[in-house]
Amino acid sequence: VTESLNVRVDRREGIAIVYTEGYINNQGGEEIARMSYELLDSGYRMLLLNLAGTKIVNSIGISILIEIIEKTIEIGGKLGFCSLTPTIGKTFQIMGLTQYAAIYPDEQSAVAAMTP
Amino acid sequence: MAEATEHGGALTLPLLPDSEVEAVRAAGRLAGEIGLSADKVDEMAHAIVEACINAREHSGSRDGLVRIDIAKCGAGGAAIRIRVSDCGGGFDPAPASRRAAGRRGRGLAMIEALMDEISVESGPGGTNVLMVKYAGRSRS
Repeated sequence: VTESLNVRVDRREGIAIVYTEGYINNQGGEEIARMSYELLDSGYRMLLLNLAGTKIVNSIGISILIEIIEKTIEIGGKLGFCSLTPTIGKTFQIMGLTQYAAIYPDEQSAVAAMTP
Repeated sequence: MAEATEHGGALTLPLLPDSEVEAVRAAGRLAGEIGLSADKVDEMAHAIVEACINAREHSGSRDGLVRIDIAKCGAGGAAIRIRVSDCGGGFDPAPASRRAAGRRGRGLAMIEALMDEISVESGPGGTNVLMVKYAGRSRS
């Protein structure tokens, strides 16, 4: 586990995929939020967070992810997650994140479900 | 709660963002020795992170430190026991109180769901969170 988080984006037609690599803590969550709000501001309404490169998300990071989901829903968008470790999936459920966002096993199934 | 059979290390860390990563690394080394599966190591890591964050965010610790003791325990040392302690003012670990804290109060619920055994002692002298993860079985 490393302290830092790297974030990159793949902007596709109708959906933007945000890839994370590293620990999603307060700082990492804020970086994902900054990137997500930039995508929403530029017109994207479908956001997919691919967490394949993340092994740990702490409860503060999850709180920030919930804020991003709420903001996305508020403007008529949708945010999904894919490629979670079983433990991250479990923590998302405990924190109530799965009430607001869909979880997909992999990127392919997520993109298929989220794009028309 | 299983007794420690072999001490695996003690850390005293400042209550600063990301200091929990050091504790995760130390516990990960011992987890490798007892053959904890990758999923169980992940669960243990998340629990340690939440216990450290709980100390940082809620303890109001007088010395600004959190102590982590890691040990093998159980029959044949087939489990890992982690104690996370602080010298803060304590908190009410009851579920109703934690619900009142909202989203930021769910760290203990996460620890309970991810570890096989957990006990929390909290009072004016500080808080001790004791957690056990077994290599070969799920929660009792």
